[in-house]
Amino acid sequence: MSGAAVIVALRVAATPQAAFTAFTRDIGKWWRSHPLFQLSRKGDGMLRFDPAGPGGRLVTRFDDGEEWEIGAVRHWLPGERLAFAWRLPSFQEGQLTEVDVRFEAVDGETRVTVEHRGWDTIPPSHVARHGFELMLFQRRLGEFWRGLLKRMSAQP
Amino acid sequence: MLGAIADPTRRRAIELLGERPRSAGELAGALGLAPPAMSRHLRVLKEGGLVEDGHPAFDARVRIYRLKDGATGELKQWLAETEALWVHQLASFKRHVESGE
Repeated sequence: MSGAAVIVALRVAATPQAAFTAFTRDIGKWWRSHPLFQLSRKGDGMLRFDPAGPGGRLVTRFDDGEEWEIGAVRHWLPGERLAFAWRLPSFQEGQLTEVDVRFEAVDGETRVTVEHRGWDTIPPSHVARHGFELMLFQRRLGEFWRGLLKRMSAQP
Repeated sequence: MLGAIADPTRRRAIELLGERPRSAGELAGALGLAPPAMSRHLRVLKEGGLVEDGHPAFDARVRIYRLKDGATGELKQWLAETEALWVHQLASFKRHVESGE
């Protein structure tokens, strides 16, 4: 496929099955809004897979009760793979990206790999949402990113 | 460009090329890589559309790599932003799973 992708991986001390279950069932618990990377102007809301399972959707519910469908579930293979579409309120009509999450057993733990594809379809207007704060945002983003990567690479 | 910037070595190479264009040998030296490993990384970056190569006017035998126009702009920011988002969320997920809640 064409376009760009981001791949982020990390190991968790759990079986692939348990990791998959926690990832899907508890996404409303572990998903933490970050001030720099909010899903919408209203924040991230409470995420859930609804219904949980093949044919479900990833939905978020904001504090004001409004809901947003982030995307349809493409693959639901417990303990192996989870894939879903990813579309934020700031995207233009028809703009869509895809997230693919793999769960692999490694030395008694599970490597969780998130691949987020399709950035060639992101509309230019999206970046403008940060407006005049863009310069500051970019500088803070760079620091934030480097810090996270450093901490992450320090993990086993 | 699957995973072109997912690798720490390639990210470092992008940073170095962000300073100025460099030859493969220069990059390999700076990154402490053997030439074959360096050319593998550069191939991935080229295929990912992040890097392009060319010859300086004075010597057709030398190949110089540079960041591709546009690669430094929006796409790069989006990649960085999205990567940071998932690094953040996966770290939070890890804490959740390992706390056994």
